[in-house]
Amino acid sequence: MRSARSFTALTLLAAIAAAALFILHLGLGTVWIPPDRVVLALLDRPTDPTDLTIVRELRLPRAILGLLVGCMLGLSGALLQVVMRNRLAEPGLTGVSTGGIFAAVLFLAGTWGLPHPGRLLPFVVLAGALAGGAVVLVASSFRGRIDPLRLILTAVIVNAVLGSLTSIVMLNSRQALGGILSWLIGSLNGRVWDDVWLALPWAAVGIPAALLAARPANVLQLDDESGRALGLPLQPARVALFGLAAVLAAGAVSVSGAIAFVGLMAPNAARVIAGADARRVLPLAALIGCVLLLAADLVAQSLSIKPPIPSSSARVGLPVGAVLAVFGAPLLIILIRRSIR
Amino acid sequence: MNDVEPLRLAEVSAGYGRRMVLDGLDLGLQQGTITAIVGPNGSGKSTVIRAMARLLPARSGVVLLDGHDIRSFGSRDIARLVSVLPQSPSSPPGLTVRELVELGRFPHTGLFGRFGAEGALAVESALTLTELSDFAERPVDELSGGERQRAWVALALAQGASTLLLDEPTTFLDVRHQFEVLDLVASLCASRGMTVVMVLHDLVHAANYADRVVVVDGGRIVADGAPSEVLTVGLMRTVFGVAAKIFTDAESGRTICLPISTGRS
Repeated sequence: MRSARSFTALTLLAAIAAAALFILHLGLGTVWIPPDRVVLALLDRPTDPTDLTIVRELRLPRAILGLLVGCMLGLSGALLQVVMRNRLAEPGLTGVSTGGIFAAVLFLAGTWGLPHPGRLLPFVVLAGALAGGAVVLVASSFRGRIDPLRLILTAVIVNAVLGSLTSIVMLNSRQALGGILSWLIGSLNGRVWDDVWLALPWAAVGIPAALLAARPANVLQLDDESGRALGLPLQPARVALFGLAAVLAAGAVSVSGAIAFVGLMAPNAARVIAGADARRVLPLAALIGCVLLLAADLVAQSLSIKPPIPSSSARVGLPVGAVLAVFGAPLLIILIRRSIR
Repeated sequence: MNDVEPLRLAEVSAGYGRRMVLDGLDLGLQQGTITAIVGPNGSGKSTVIRAMARLLPARSGVVLLDGHDIRSFGSRDIARLVSVLPQSPSSPPGLTVRELVELGRFPHTGLFGRFGAEGALAVESALTLTELSDFAERPVDELSGGERQRAWVALALAQGASTLLLDEPTTFLDVRHQFEVLDLVASLCASRGMTVVMVLHDLVHAANYADRVVVVDGGRIVADGAPSEVLTVGLMRTVFGVAAKIFTDAESGRTICLPISTGRS
């Protein structure tokens, strides 16, 4: 039996887990910094001056991004499950990830004669991601109506087309092939403060807006006739929630690439724990998203590989997207086996 | 006496695409009464209810809500005055009875607001009236058909509207649960002075529970009045195409309509 008290307890637990993982994440790296020294460095009272540089300059941006991206993807998935009325809905079903990646390969394939193409890439991904979401939304509306099933089918088709176009460009361009892999899988390796500033506006607007959307989201979970009888304009509500989910996903993709599974696992886990009420599912999905992404990035950071990519020769951490897919998939299967009998 | 009708359809035509279902239909409701809408399949019964709550806009004619053109109301304003229980409502798996009933407060709170003491009271009293307080924390999809239907009635009650429109509220229920739901509706009408419109297939129920029976056929009203006046052998033959026996129960004085056959044999 789910009670309000156990929900509060679980939310608190998830928040504590996220905080603990955050501190641990800041401590872990080439040099291990114990949690007490991490906290002191964060509070600007470091026991050792180098702690300040390592924690605040080198590791904090990546940990903050992990927190933000996990939260954004968890919320995006939870909103899409409502809009699409389907528990398999996830941020990848918005056209956002494939749109962002297609824009990235196009950009990488052409040299364009630009001085610092690397720094421009996140903006290109962001533009492509938003465009991808818009294409899915426009293509799926018919006579001003958005039908959940039509939305899913349109997204699958748009994703397939963009995916094929991406493959064609990649096969014709070495630069694109090398540069795009980490975006395809999703990674937080080497992220800096500039990346945080890029994601922050989307998070600052999207996260509170998504949490406030719980009431209309709940009404949308009913059948159409009941929803309208309660006075909710269904089509504007669907467009707004889809747009919000797409913006959250686009903000995440623009800094981390297409990280899979968080947006699917977090809302499903939240539903298993808290039931169907969006007032509980949304905040819990956000917290679980943070926990999952930070935990997976901890693992990703500690396992390094030397990728056989033409353009790079250094050992790098595993992309967090790969870790999530490998460890996340079995977890998700267990969760779904237990919740859908 | 309040002489403003809570709802009136004035010469309303409405339909889907090119197909017109209601053809200049005229129907006013009296405050605090139960009206049953009956008629054969495809006659436009459900469309009457949909037009009354502006779920389907009228192509011509006017719908008057409390005497004012319904087009001048916002969707949430309408939802505060009229609640609708559709034919086959659905809630997401795992949603509890209380969470469902709380959605009835949606038209009263801002998009982002909380529902406050008044809302909490409305939810509690809706749960009590429908005798669902003990089931409040149970998921709706795990309830029996009758309990589930009561939960949806509770949502409509929490909405606080004075007019309740029910589209075939007894479908898929066994006979005992049918009576439970109809008894509940009748007691709400009596205790809260609610105006009720029910689309019913079962003419026995219509005669039993309604103050007034409206027979719809081909998008028009073909008979309208007290059950004893409306339900006649002739009407059963012309509208429903069945031979029927109509008699009055000596004990209760109720009209009983007993369809016998298609009348072709």
